[in-house]
Amino acid sequence: MTTPAASTPTSEFRVDSAHTYDTSTPVRWIVSHVSRYPLLLVGFVLSTLAFAICSSLVPRIAGLAFDAVDRPDAGQALLTLSLLLMGVVFARGLADFGTINSIERLAQRLERDARSELTTSLLGKSQAFHDRQRVGDVMARAADDVRQLNLMFSPGVQLILDSLINLVTPLVFIAAIDVRMLLFPLLFVAAFAWALRRYSARLDPVSTAMREAFGHLSAGLNETIAGIELVKAAAAEPYERRRFAQNARAFRDQFVRQGDVQARYLPYLLVWLTFAATFGHGLLLLGQGSISVGELVAVIGLVGVLRGPADLSIFTFAMVQMGLAGARRTLALINEETELDENPEGYAGVMKGDIRFEDVTFTFPGAEAPTLERFTFHARPGETVAIVGQTGSGKSTLTKLVNRTFDVDSGRVLVDGIDVRDWNMESLRQQISVIEQEVFLFSRSVRDNIAFGLPGATFDQVVAAAKAAQAHGFITELPQGYDTVIGERGATLSGGQRQRLAIARALLTDPRILILDDATSAIDSATEDEIQTAINAVLKGRTSLVITHRLSQIRRADRIIMLDRSRLVDQGTHAELLERNELYQRIFQRYD
Amino acid sequence: MGFILGGLTGEEYDRNYSDAQLLRRIVGYFRPHLGKMLFVALLIALNAAALALLPVLTSRGIDGALARGAQGVEVFNANLPVLLLMVAAAGLAWTFNFLRQAITARVVGDVVLTLREDVFDAAVERDMAFYDDYSTGRVVSRVTSDTQDFSNVVTLTLGLISEVLIVAIVFVILFSINVRLALITTAITPVILGAALAFRWIARRTSRQAKRVKAEVNANIQESITGIGVAKAFRQEAALHADFERVNAEAYRLGLKQGLVLQSIFPVLGFIAGLGTVVVLYYGGSAVLAGAVTRGEWFLFAESLALFWFPLTSIASFWSQFQDGLAASERVFALMDTEPQVVQTGAEPVPELEGRIEFRNVHFAYKPGSPVLQGFDLVIPAGQTVALVGHTGAGKSSLGKLIARGYEFEKGELLIDGLDIRSFDLVSYRRQLGVVQQTPYLFTGTIRDNIRYGREDASEEQVLAAARNVAGGDWLDSLPAGLDTEISEGGRGISMGQRQLVALARVLLKDPAIVILDEATASIDPLTEAQIQEGLETVLKGRTSIVIAHRLSTVRSADRIIVLSHGRILEEGTHDELLAAGGHYAELFEAYFRHQSASYDPEGLSGPARTPRPRG
Repeated sequence: MTTPAASTPTSEFRVDSAHTYDTSTPVRWIVSHVSRYPLLLVGFVLSTLAFAICSSLVPRIAGLAFDAVDRPDAGQALLTLSLLLMGVVFARGLADFGTINSIERLAQRLERDARSELTTSLLGKSQAFHDRQRVGDVMARAADDVRQLNLMFSPGVQLILDSLINLVTPLVFIAAIDVRMLLFPLLFVAAFAWALRRYSARLDPVSTAMREAFGHLSAGLNETIAGIELVKAAAAEPYERRRFAQNARAFRDQFVRQGDVQARYLPYLLVWLTFAATFGHGLLLLGQGSISVGELVAVIGLVGVLRGPADLSIFTFAMVQMGLAGARRTLALINEETELDENPEGYAGVMKGDIRFEDVTFTFPGAEAPTLERFTFHARPGETVAIVGQTGSGKSTLTKLVNRTFDVDSGRVLVDGIDVRDWNMESLRQQISVIEQEVFLFSRSVRDNIAFGLPGATFDQVVAAAKAAQAHGFITELPQGYDTVIGERGATLSGGQRQRLAIARALLTDPRILILDDATSAIDSATEDEIQTAINAVLKGRTSLVITHRLSQIRRADRIIMLDRSRLVDQGTHAELLERNELYQRIFQRYD
Repeated sequence: MGFILGGLTGEEYDRNYSDAQLLRRIVGYFRPHLGKMLFVALLIALNAAALALLPVLTSRGIDGALARGAQGVEVFNANLPVLLLMVAAAGLAWTFNFLRQAITARVVGDVVLTLREDVFDAAVERDMAFYDDYSTGRVVSRVTSDTQDFSNVVTLTLGLISEVLIVAIVFVILFSINVRLALITTAITPVILGAALAFRWIARRTSRQAKRVKAEVNANIQESITGIGVAKAFRQEAALHADFERVNAEAYRLGLKQGLVLQSIFPVLGFIAGLGTVVVLYYGGSAVLAGAVTRGEWFLFAESLALFWFPLTSIASFWSQFQDGLAASERVFALMDTEPQVVQTGAEPVPELEGRIEFRNVHFAYKPGSPVLQGFDLVIPAGQTVALVGHTGAGKSSLGKLIARGYEFEKGELLIDGLDIRSFDLVSYRRQLGVVQQTPYLFTGTIRDNIRYGREDASEEQVLAAARNVAGGDWLDSLPAGLDTEISEGGRGISMGQRQLVALARVLLKDPAIVILDEATASIDPLTEAQIQEGLETVLKGRTSIVIAHRLSTVRSADRIIVLSHGRILEEGTHDELLAAGGHYAELFEAYFRHQSASYDPEGLSGPARTPRPRG
């Protein structure tokens, strides 16, 4: 049962004890999950069957009691039958508990296992994959879609199987009494199936339209309220009111349409008509002496059991549909290929930090225009290169080609003269550190966050790194110092503080190449002094690519490269660019 | 069984109404539909009667068959009227139910529509002080979900009436047949009600636990996914995985517990009902033997149990669901009834403004007891650009908010062109006011739609001209589709700097006399920053401008800098004058603006070789 995970052909991380599932289609995937627990599955089917048989036994015993009152030993027979019924009621209760216990366990395990499978698979995907995903989407899959799998079984599959069995067992019991009595119940089953299909076909589009109308209504309203200051400033209240009234009316119309479809639910009528027809049929047979009064009562009671399946809401089928859709989306994520190539045989050595881009062109998969076009530049070991350009001009993409988050389409990226694709991935990434624009910290202690990349680091090493990153001061002022937990339930830190922790984290691993996306804004100059000191500490002695908005930092860089719409338009020192580049002059126009 | 989970998401109410007040207002919304409602009530009664008739007719049929003995087709023929009645009852019950649902859907749909329009009107009329206290999400849910829950009160009540009627009719029939047997049958009532209520209590507790742990799993996954880059860079995936497995196992444990508790109500109620059947079978049979009831009546008792116990569970759940509905309507009404803080003394149409602003002894506080402005005086001549500077809480934004009339001041006067701001028709006043927020809000639509927002009458040429006049218009070139670039909700997809440029174009198109600008504190890429600065020069020229300044270049170019502290003016003048004076402004400059200079270089950070001299 425990084979190495092979759910993704290439992955950066795997769990040896993980179970292997069939990920070819959603249905097979669910089946392979469920079949891990054959006992629960068998227990569920058997107890549902037992429940249905007991349910049908109840009217049967009642019918026997009806006939028993004619017998000479009526009192004794009545008592016996009542005790028997009591036994059946007990057994039915136990079977019911059994059903719930097995299906609920199965459903919850399905959710747990699927979530675990998904998370493990996500941890194994390449960084490029994660860059493409929106966290919200992935979260929706790990939380909601996986939850849908649970609901699909409990109550979805449970109710459907329950209804099916409860549709069949009364028929079997009726047949046992008198096959002819099956006439109307069988007609009912056929009509019921037809009515249910028709109902579902009518309800589906209306429900979808209603959900959409509601989504529209609340999205529109959300916008109006979020932008209320602007609405007022623009004196646009009448316009917004018209828009809202339109949406609200559209929803009302769909609501009424849904009400109309629901009001026409036919199975209720069908089951009552079956009841009357079977009764009439039974009276006819009773007149012929084919059945006893007690048997007629039993048949009528069994027809009553059919009311259960008739109550089966269309929602149950929707639940199974939603579960399948959830499975499809989850699988799409699990099965997505990652363009990863560990290259374990590749070059691994101590990096000097020489970076060279040779005629590099890169286009995002699916994008029309290239993000970087024919891009050439060279950064020598120890140099600080500032990258300047508008949002969307390709600055971050450029840095992501160095550590192979992405691979170039044409041209080459060389580190120490070796194409990055020929480096051993592990060795390459270990010597390159990235400090992102939005620094991510884990909900752990400050100390653990700084030592994240070097779990064996001593406390002294952590403190030394924090000091160099100008973080020691504010850390000691936190309630529990280095043991303070960061995050929603812990201390909240400012952007500048988070950035300095990230710098400390990077300092501890001592990379040769540093990529710094520095968009943190300090409101006051004192904080800025500390941030600049920290940044300088981390830049020292490394090749650094710095994306920055700080004019002073741009000036101080050894070299500045200017990007404009995916092309390198100029490069040089501050003095050179100020002399010859119009765009560059425009930037500094108001400051010098 | 939604009722078990109902009421878990209760909020703090902002206002308490008595149930009578609430009901009166709810009924008020239904009054226009009174005729339909009365018809629905009639349909409910008819439906209940038809449904209760079915077992009674069956019971008659059985007795009829038994009375005549087994005599061929006669048994059937003699019971033909009963059978026809059964078919008729079934058809009628269905028809009544159909009409009831269809009419109810219309009434509820219309009432919710009216209510939503009312709440929406109330919401957009609230002043900005109100929106400080209420988040967007809360207001939206009041207009969308709470109004829907409100209608639940009605649907629920209708359902309850229908079920109570059925139970009552059956009850009466049973008692009219045999009191003793009826008492035994109905003894099941309190047991089922008690069990349903007890379950609700247990379910709420386990649900709360399960909800908490679910949130924890989600938080854990969110952290793993957001932090995956860091984990990969440092090769720490295994640590994250171990963490996740622990939380996932806990979620499974509590989720299972919750699921089992919620689901086991069905076996329990079914079991109680089953015991009821046993009792009726035994005592009913004994009564038949004693000759107290007929066999048909015995059948009726047994059948009625099924009609009985399911409605009972709904009745047990009614009260709490009803309370939830009332609570929802309370939230809706509270939103509608909030007292506005901004009160106009008149609604004078505002003439074309020059833009002279005068604060005369103005007192202002966001919260009573913590004044922001106390006897504030300031005159801004028409056309002047004023930069407000000072520490957080100095009162800079308050001045802008008062001019935009988002908040009410307590004492004093605020005069625009010498006219009392309180006497203005706010819509016509705001047409002459341009506001640029710190994080400009963009609506879904194109950049063009956004520039035109609030000036639907503007021509294509005017929009284009406004866009081109901001920083020469070259910012449009860096947008994927220029003016046709689609904006997703809230302005995601374009940078903060570009949002500001759109907001500036918007103001240009509006051509207001007064501009209030809250400068961004976020860092913006240097080229866009230069474009914004160029755009500002165009937008502020010739208008009275109040700038809450965070940018060095803005304070430098302002006509007049006002240094605020604790709601008082400490200093005023131009950048050069104030810096030379070496007072409060010089201090603020040292604290907030120094590092924005291009020649900023904290001591000893860079070697001399790296610091080329600026040109000239």
